[in-house]
Amino acid sequence: MPRATLSLRRIEALLPSRPGRARVEELLFVSKAQVEGGSGDELLVEGTADRLDLLTESGLGLYLQGATGSAVGLPPVERVGASTISIEVDASVGPIRPDLAAVEVRPPAGQTLESELLEEAIRFQELLHATLGLDRRLASLGIYPIERIRGPVRYALEPLDAVRFVPLDGDREIDATDFFGHHPMAARYGALGRRDDRCLVLRDAAGAVLSVPPILNSRGSGEARPGDGALLLESTGTRPSRVEDAVGLLSLVFIAHGWSVAEVPVAGPHHRSDGSGVVRPRSVQLSPATIARLAGAEIAPAEVTRLLEAARLGVHPLPHGWRVEVPPWRADILAPVDLVEELVLARGLRPEDGIVPPSATRGRRSPEAQFRAHVSDRLLGLGLIPLYTPVLVSERMTTLAGRAAAVTLANPVSDQFARMRDSLQLSLLGVLERNVRHGYPQRFSEVGPVLVVANGSESGADTRDHAGVLLAHDGAGFAEVAALADYLLRTFGTAGVREPAELPGTIPGRAAVLRLAGETVAEMGEIAPALLRELRVPVPAAWVEWDLSALRPLVERAR
Amino acid sequence: MAEGEERPPDRGAPLALSGPERGVLATLQRFPGESIPEEEVADRAGLPLDVVRGSLQRLRAKHLTLLEETTRDRTRLTRRGEEARSEGLPERRLIRAIAESPHKALDATEIDASGLDGEARSAAIGILRRRRLLEDGFPFRLKDGASETPEMPEERGLREIGDGVEDVDPDVVKLLVRRGLASVDHVSHKSWRPSEEGQRVPTSEDAADLLGALTPALLASDAWRTAAFRPYDVRAAVPYSGGARPHPYLDWLREFEEILIGLGFSQSEGPLLETEFWNADVLFMPQEHPARSIHDVLSVRGLHGRAPPSELLERVVAVHEGRPIPGETEPLGMGWRYPYDRAVAARPVLRSQTTAVSARFLAQHPTPPFRMYCVDRNFRYDPVDATHHIEFGQCEGVLGEESASLRHLIGIFRALAEAIGIREIRIRPSYFPFTEPSIEAYVRHPRLGWIEAMPGGMFRPEVLRPLGIEVPVAAWGIGITRLAMVSLGLSDIRELFQDDLARLTGQEG
Repeated sequence: MPRATLSLRRIEALLPSRPGRARVEELLFVSKAQVEGGSGDELLVEGTADRLDLLTESGLGLYLQGATGSAVGLPPVERVGASTISIEVDASVGPIRPDLAAVEVRPPAGQTLESELLEEAIRFQELLHATLGLDRRLASLGIYPIERIRGPVRYALEPLDAVRFVPLDGDREIDATDFFGHHPMAARYGALGRRDDRCLVLRDAAGAVLSVPPILNSRGSGEARPGDGALLLESTGTRPSRVEDAVGLLSLVFIAHGWSVAEVPVAGPHHRSDGSGVVRPRSVQLSPATIARLAGAEIAPAEVTRLLEAARLGVHPLPHGWRVEVPPWRADILAPVDLVEELVLARGLRPEDGIVPPSATRGRRSPEAQFRAHVSDRLLGLGLIPLYTPVLVSERMTTLAGRAAAVTLANPVSDQFARMRDSLQLSLLGVLERNVRHGYPQRFSEVGPVLVVANGSESGADTRDHAGVLLAHDGAGFAEVAALADYLLRTFGTAGVREPAELPGTIPGRAAVLRLAGETVAEMGEIAPALLRELRVPVPAAWVEWDLSALRPLVERAR
Repeated sequence: MAEGEERPPDRGAPLALSGPERGVLATLQRFPGESIPEEEVADRAGLPLDVVRGSLQRLRAKHLTLLEETTRDRTRLTRRGEEARSEGLPERRLIRAIAESPHKALDATEIDASGLDGEARSAAIGILRRRRLLEDGFPFRLKDGASETPEMPEERGLREIGDGVEDVDPDVVKLLVRRGLASVDHVSHKSWRPSEEGQRVPTSEDAADLLGALTPALLASDAWRTAAFRPYDVRAAVPYSGGARPHPYLDWLREFEEILIGLGFSQSEGPLLETEFWNADVLFMPQEHPARSIHDVLSVRGLHGRAPPSELLERVVAVHEGRPIPGETEPLGMGWRYPYDRAVAARPVLRSQTTAVSARFLAQHPTPPFRMYCVDRNFRYDPVDATHHIEFGQCEGVLGEESASLRHLIGIFRALAEAIGIREIRIRPSYFPFTEPSIEAYVRHPRLGWIEAMPGGMFRPEVLRPLGIEVPVAAWGIGITRLAMVSLGLSDIRELFQDDLARLTGQEG
């Protein structure tokens, strides 16, 4: 879950009175953000991926305005028409990072960019890079001073040696070859903005490099500073929805402080936009029937209006419902169902409001589970200690037991969990090894799943139910496990035929399979002494394992 | 257990007495209720004291005798004390020598002739000077007016101690001990008596002929017809006998499932190795969702999966891309607005959520109303520690009927929590790509505080419509592992995979 450290003071500055930390925590409890910690002015807030707007002071302030009633409805946004800046998207960027969205934000009359507002915007920009942008892969953002840019701005893929700029964190001009070769940001994100000997560039009409997307802005034209006036907010990426959402979210920081917005036209080989889609609220229609169906209760129209306006949405009654205006930073509201969620959450979720739906019938376990339970009970009745072990087993045990066919993980967390067991024997041997100090006899069992390679199956391997027993004591041997194998089948009123087999981990000539109606339903054998030595087990051991997935249909067919 | 208390009757072991033990116990049995000093026991039993002492301790270990131990102080004269008693205290000898000298004064020659050696002479001089009986300076002479026969209480002490008097003046004893003329020994005196059980144990010579273990040979011999069996100490310790018992976590899961079955839910199951389609795509999770990265989901090597049936696949593709489902005119919503990759759909992955089982269940077009549950394990790329494990259990459930709503989901959460003894839950909004609204119920852990345990919500139309479901469906994916930890009072998730046989059989806590 994404997190951000916010300033309580800056949040409270957006409210008519200071609610204090405790009240803010209480108000946030019913939202998708919660205070996880922090002290003094710091609030450590954790949110959800669909409400990133709550992870900046401005967004949280707007929410709390609605929650406290100090301001409701769609936050006012002054739209001042078209920006002085337009952006041209060259066809060359198509294969690498084709999408771009932008907006201009202008400070209120007589004001300029304050340092704290800029800092908030930059922090939020980084959060959006990591979350919405998936570490800049899907979208990234840039902030530029309009007064130091000459439009139109061009977005293109250019030769490295044609791109010269002073990096934002540098003091001398370098070319892109040098930048991509040595700068730490280029080392991390260079692959996203470079193709062979060319790189993405945002350049203004005067030829100044604004930035090398999605990596770094330039000093001068690419650096917003306190005291600046209008700003260009831009996002490039590989998903049109993401770049638009990114710009919408970043603009929230400024809109919450009374900045106006101007539409930035974007023209490219594959699309042309006047920029209005980025800043204009979306409309979603909602009906009482939808509310009743999804919320499980009817909500009075007046309350619907009140709750949605408190959520900082614009609400316009229609003959059979409402038209709800959604600001650009609420990318989570796509459909009526999302508005119902707003209503439900705003009303609050109390455990006592829950109702247990009555049922005329009792449910039941699956036939497979019932079969497993029968086997488990029989094994417990024999005094075998039941186990519950991970399905994932170690590379080492798989090798020791000679079970090379076990499915291998491509990205294991560790060698201890590198394979999926294709036999319970692997897990049972692990238990045997870990209990060498326990003393003997040891008799234990497990009923659980294994994964067996099956070419042609939907995922390439089948999940099968197995039951396994391992015995370790002075007299453990084949006869005992064979007797167990026979016993279990007898509990189902059937009997199998034993045939010699060579099985991994067992002594040659002392292992067998048990067949029923021509199918193998069990394996058994004496554990090989070399394996016991490796596990430091000082007594003989024997093992039997049933394939319950094979056994169950045969047993049921025979009934 | 304090000495004198009878041992509670909870254990047993064979009782066997050696010859000396039998003799000692027999001696004690002649004086029931009396405590006899061990020296006297040895005397009466006619056995050496060290043998008796050993037997008494062994009988005590078998709870057949009781010990009373007292400690007494015994004062005795040291070697110097004996000399002082017989020859006189050094200061007495010096006074006598001065009184008997012609000039009532002793010079060096006369001192040597007195018989007082260096140490005794120094002691005498020091004591007489402290008692202001001796003039300073040399030759030694008594002070004017000093008695030539002053009283010296130490002399009486020496006499009395030497005579074996027990209650010598303690102040005098202190004086003598300080002067090294006497010492105090702390002597322990042990007295023994038989316990109630010890009083009953047969100790006659005939007892040696009592039979021990009943063996097949003894049984066949008929010797048991004419002899008695030696009684066992049935309260002595015996070897631990453990056995199999239901696995605590599996037992708890079974009980939890019973709750769901009672609420009308029937079980469904699914494979542990899924395809990306069932694990995520069909649940309206965008293919670029962070939870689908290699840092969250475990994938496998060398296996190839299969795409789902094309009709279903195309319906899911349409909702992902924000297009109308084939056969319909309006899109369900804006979708994720990205090009869906069909190759991803067939990729095998270890199941990361049992919601995949719900999807498979819904794809079978169950007739409403329906209630399904699944309790199974999933896999995530998580380092293993006290609160995380690569394998974790989840309880999935869906409730599909015309009136299904969030209130039903909240009601089910409350019922489940209450059924396993959790009284405190609270509900917060949450976010999952496949449900809207989404909620999370928190439960209180005695040590960890509030923890998220029950996520759920109403399946989005983007999930239901491609699967042909027309009724609302409430769904949840409870972290059953966490819930089990709260209910079982565990703080470490690894304890659920406990394979220590001693702990599983109850031998160790």
